[in-house]
This record gives sequence, C-alpha cells and structure tokens, in this order.
Amino acid sequence: MGVNMPQLRAILTSKLIMDDRRPNSVHQTRQKKQDKPIRFATLGTMLMSTLLGIFFLMSFAVGKDSITQFTIFFSFYIFLLASTLITDFTSVLIDVRDTMIILPKPVNDKTFVLSRLLHILIHVSKIVIPMSFPGMVGVTMLHGIAGLLPFIFLVISATLFTIFLINAVYILILRITTPQKFKSIISYFQIAFAILFFGGYQLVPRLLSKVALQNYSVSNASWKWFTPSFWFAASWEFMKTFVFTPTLFTCFLLSVFLPIISMWVVIRYFAPSFNRKLSMISGGEGEPAAEKSGSKKIVSTSSAYLLTMAKLFTVKGAERMSFLHTWKMTGRSRDFKMKVYPTFGYLVIYMVLMVMNNRKLTFADVQSQTAGGKAVFIGILYFSGFILMRALGQLIFSERYKASWIYYITPVGLPGHYISGAMKSIMTRFYLPIILIVSITGLAIAGPTIIPNLVLGMCNQLLIICCVTYITIRQLPFSTTQSLNANTGSLIRGLFSLLIPAVLAVLHYMLYNYLPVIILLTVLSVIACWLVLNGIKSKTWEMILQLNYE
Amino acid sequence: MNPIISLKNVYKNYGAKAVLKGINLSIYPGQVIGYIGPNGAGKSTTVKILCGLISDYEGEVIIDGINLKDDPIAVKSRIGYVPELAELYDVLTPVEFLGFMAELYNMPTALADDRITKMLTAFGLADNMHQRMDTFSKGMRQKVLISSGLLHNPDILILDEPLSGLDANSVIIVKDLISKLAKEGKTIFYCSHMMDVVEKVSDRIVLINDGAVIADGSFEELKQQQGNQSLEQIFAHMTAKESLSDAADQLMNSFGN
Repeated sequence: MGVNMPQLRAILTSKLIMDDRRPNSVHQTRQKKQDKPIRFATLGTMLMSTLLGIFFLMSFAVGKDSITQFTIFFSFYIFLLASTLITDFTSVLIDVRDTMIILPKPVNDKTFVLSRLLHILIHVSKIVIPMSFPGMVGVTMLHGIAGLLPFIFLVISATLFTIFLINAVYILILRITTPQKFKSIISYFQIAFAILFFGGYQLVPRLLSKVALQNYSVSNASWKWFTPSFWFAASWEFMKTFVFTPTLFTCFLLSVFLPIISMWVVIRYFAPSFNRKLSMISGGEGEPAAEKSGSKKIVSTSSAYLLTMAKLFTVKGAERMSFLHTWKMTGRSRDFKMKVYPTFGYLVIYMVLMVMNNRKLTFADVQSQTAGGKAVFIGILYFSGFILMRALGQLIFSERYKASWIYYITPVGLPGHYISGAMKSIMTRFYLPIILIVSITGLAIAGPTIIPNLVLGMCNQLLIICCVTYITIRQLPFSTTQSLNANTGSLIRGLFSLLIPAVLAVLHYMLYNYLPVIILLTVLSVIACWLVLNGIKSKTWEMILQLNYE
Repeated sequence: MNPIISLKNVYKNYGAKAVLKGINLSIYPGQVIGYIGPNGAGKSTTVKILCGLISDYEGEVIIDGINLKDDPIAVKSRIGYVPELAELYDVLTPVEFLGFMAELYNMPTALADDRITKMLTAFGLADNMHQRMDTFSKGMRQKVLISSGLLHNPDILILDEPLSGLDANSVIIVKDLISKLAKEGKTIFYCSHMMDVVEKVSDRIVLINDGAVIADGSFEELKQQQGNQSLEQIFAHMTAKESLSDAADQLMNSFGN
C-alpha cells in the first residue's frame, strides 16, 4: 500500500492529543481562567453534541407524519453539523503548521493524506456519534429496530452530504477570493450562521402556532424537493415501509447515490487544489508579500467622514488619536468583528420580536402615540444601545495586545483620554447610525411631537454608556488578552446593559406625557453625562490596570 | 570526492516573478556553508527546495547521489531542518513533540527517548521536558527546534537563523556544536543575516542576490577579491544598489525641513 504504519500512528496520536488540549467553543464562550491547562476538550465537545442531539428530539413532537418529523430532524442535523464543522475545517483539521513540520520529514504522500483523512473521520465521528445517539434512541422507541437501521444508514449518508456541502462552500470562496481574505470570509459565514441560528429558533416557533405545527405535513409543500433533508426523510419512509411510490423511491435513490457522488466530486475535483490553496492561507508558499503591497495599499475610503467625526467629538491629542485608532482597529480586526457583529443580527431579531409580540399593535398606534405605540418606541430607544455594550466589552481585548506598549512609551499625562477617545469612537461607529435610523423613522411616523422624548432617551443611553465605561473599563483599549483576564466587569456590564435601561425605560414610559418633566430630566441627564465624561478623561495612570509583560 | 549537495541550473518562479535564476552549487561533506543574501534574494526558496517543501522547480537537485525529484523521501531522511519561524505544535510537551518527530524519522523508540532526554538536558531544559510549549520563551522553543533537527543524526543539517532568540550562552553552545558536527563530516547549510556569525562559523560563504550566486568562496578568498574588509562590508558592497551611507544621510536629513 505504501503507507508507513508507525508514522501514521505517530501523526494521528499527536493530532488527537492536540485536539484534546485545544480550547473548543465551550471553553471560549465561558472564558474560564486559563490557570488550568485545557484537557479532555474532546469530552466536552462530545457532551455538547449529545445535548444538541437531545434537542433535535423536539422534531419528533411536531408534524403529523413521520416524513415531516424526519425532515425537521435532518434539517437540524445537517444545519448544526455544518455550522460546527465549518470552523473546525480551518482550525482543527487543516493545520497550516503541518507544511512546515511534517512535510520536511521523510513521510510519503500516501501516509500524509491517509493520516489527514483518518483524522477528519475521527473528528467527525466524535461529533456525529453523540449528536445522533439521542435520535437513535428516540427512533428505536418510536419505530423499533426496523426504523433504527435505515436511520443509521441515513445519518451516515447525511454526514457525507454535509461534508460535501462544506467543501463546496470552501472551494467556492477560494475561487472567488484570495487565500488571504479567506479567513475573514469564513468568519462572516460564521456570523451569518450564528444570526440565522438564533433568529430561526426565536422566530419560527412564534410564526407558526402550535396547532398548525401539529397538523403540518411537509409532503404537501411545493418546496420539498429543494430541501435535502426531505430526501433523507422520504428515503427513511421507503426503507421502513417498502411502499413504492415515485416520490419515495426517487428520494431513496437520491439518499444512496448523492453522498457517493458528492464524495467522489470532493476527492476528484476539490481535494487536489484544495490542500495547496489552503496551505497558501498561511502564506507559506504564496508570493513574496512585498510584491503585492503595491496593489493592496489601504485607502481610507471614509477618511473625510472619519476626520470630521473625530474633530467634532474629540479634542486634539491623545483622545483624537485613540478615536481614530479604535475606528481602524474595530473595522479591521477579525476577532473584534466576530464577537460584536452577531449582536447586530440579534438586535434586529429582538426588534422584530418586540413588534410581533404585540400583535394588536398597528401602524396607527405608533403614529398617534397610544400606550402600545409608546412602549415599542421606548423599548427600541433603550435597547438600541445593546450592540454598543457588546462592543464596549470587547474594547480592551485584542490578539495583538502586546502592541499596547505604544501607550506607555508616549508622553501622555492622563490615560483617560485614550479611554474616552475609544469610547467615543465606538459610539460613533455602533450607535450613531442606529439612533439616526430610529430617529428618522420615528419622526417620519409620529412627527416632531416625539422629539423631547427622543432626546431624553438618547441622553439617557449616553449616560448609561459613560457610566459603564467609567466603572468597567480599567484597561487601555486593545491592551489585554481574553485568555489572560478573567472577565472582570462583565457582571456590572450585564447589569447595566439589561437592568438599568429597563428601569429607566419604565420610568421614562410613565413620565412620557409630562413635557416639563421630560425637559428637566434631559437637562439633568446632559449634565450628568458631561460630569461622567470628564471623570473618564481624568483617569490617571494609577487608576489603569497595567499589564505585566512576562 | 562527490558533492553531497549539488544544484544545477535551478530556477523557480512564483507566477511571473522569477525568484531563482539558475543556481549552481556543489557542496562537499564536512563543509559549513554560510548562505547569505539580502531580503528577497531567494535564500528561503533555496532552503525550501532542499527540504522538499517546494517541488515545482526547474533544474536538477542531487543530494547524496539521489535526485530530489526521484525519491524525496530518501532525501528527506538524510536532512535535518531547523526552520526560521518557530513553527511548533505548542500544545504538546517537548518530549511529546520530539517523540513524534522521531517516529516520523522511523527511529527506534528506545533510542529516541534516550536521545531526547540527553539533548533537552544538555540544552538546560531538563525541568521543562514535560511542560506544554505554549508557555515557552522564544529561546526555549528554538532549543526544541534545534533538537528536532539533530534528533535523527542527519548527514546534512539545514539551519535557517538558528540563533534567533537564543541567549549568549546558548549561542556559544550552538556555534561550538556546528564546528564539532562539521569535524564529524556532517554538512551544514547555514542561512543567516548575522554576518559576524557567518564569518566565524562557515568555511565557505555563498552570497546570492536577486536569484543568482554572486560570490562563492572562503572568507579569506572573498577578502582577497574584495579588499581586506569585514564580511558585512563585502556584503554591502556587493548587494546594495545605492550607497548605504547615503541612505543614512537621507534619514538624518528627514529631521530638517
């Protein structure tokens, strides 16, 4: 065969040890202290997958026939498997360091390719088996062993199909873009996935009433042929019942041959160019970087807008520098975008939810400022700062945190200017556009009568942000790493971002129609804002937590 | 004596850009070659070709009598490579990582274990042998990398900036090690930007610029050709397009207005 078994074993053993020590998504979201080295990450992943698998069982509670139930099950399955694997393919399975470490060693291509395939197989099984296990138990209980065997076959089939889908997406992206941009595009995919996922779970059950769900049957839908999960579901029905109808039989054929064909396509057409292109992502074999810089000069397109904003909101010196710096960092750092941009999507979904929960609410309500209309208006006003909170929480973190030495070597008296500049920058970036849209739509619908309340709402938002910044931001922007720092201030930020806006919103709602009070409160709010902002600016070096470079 | 490494008319293009424009070199056993050249001259491309990382080159590369294109595996097992960028699987411990490397070189486990322990101890890493390398300093990682290049006792060693990140004492150890290895008949291909080290360590210096060899010989020979200068001066003289002191003057002038 030409495969060197001891080498194969060595590569696989090392890969699996490394997998076990790599922080997975569970670790990242919980932001555990990094004192303890990560171990048994595999177990964590498997546990997560099992939980997801239990969650899929929900699909057996809806729909009136088993085709519908299985269609929903396989939809969940394919979707979640794809979203899990799409990240793993770059971070776990295709390790660009392999090029430098394994390739100079006397390892032949067959051994290397086989080790990679086996690694992918093991990795996928670690997710797939726990994920489908609850389903297997469920199917056995509902349909017996006769239902289980086709189910197992179809799970394998659907898994292969999902791998094909991911490969196709990767290849598509690599076709239309350079390997350098590849990683950013994959992150945008992940952001989109996260939003879609969240939105789907929030919205779909609400859109369909419970009765409709119980009697829903996918067989009547005209779009069923476009959903692969329907093919798998109908194929299961065929294998269980052996009833020959054209629909069932076609689906059966599809579910058997599709994975085989798609795997063949992956191996035949995708794999060869794929590995080479992926290894270029690391820049290992790419063109010399300097050659390209000519065509890739960064032109600050919005520089005029940016400079105007900077001049408008900041004073010359450290504050303006920090404003511009933060603007560029937040726009270009993939890490920051990954953590903050999904919030945009959540925000939109929340707003839709808020409107939908009041079914009785009409356009006229908002227009004539009835109780319901006022509530929605205030709600949107006070929760539009959500994304800002998220951005603020990420402000001090950066992968390149060590570059923050620039703050310390430059002669700046009050480091508070750095913080206030950065805060203003993310406000301009993440709050100004939203509040503009809200104000313009509000004015267009309800007219100028809402102006006092609008202004008070905005001022209160600013005040909350300033307070949160004053209390929680004790490091300089982009100066620390997520793993080094237990997330201090997160509790306070959580409290501020949910509780305080809620309380203020309720109070504001009660005082909505008392114009003199509203105006008085606005004045007070502005004064408070100004005071807190000054407080931030005058933070001294003693009040800043400095990082120890070890 | 047959050359252990022989490159004949080696060309390599990245797209339209030619990086190597016909390299010819014959290297004999026991030589320490100082391979120098300015940034972008094609140094690391040459190294990557020798290590089998780049296979789509034109020309002929023969190592120890074997054509690299015919049997890259046999060639790779004779070469030890210490890459410039500290690429390591850093969640592994040094012992795990080196054990993995040893398996890839098909070394018997007992021999490998013994050698790994001895090497790491010699480098002063005895206490860190079973710690994950993600906490290691640059110098410690470099010591592990050097060990991984020496582990299988190769006839040819390719070192790309092997001293980067090492402290002064470790530098002495590695320099001493290089000359001892050469005495045993090992061939060492030493790439570096540090001219003073290259001057002392290597017994033959190959200077490349813009994809071609522009000087080849011992330091003494180069001095005879170029006048009695230091290697740094010879290097500057042969590769810089404009006078370097002009550049320094321009830098000084940028303060004025």
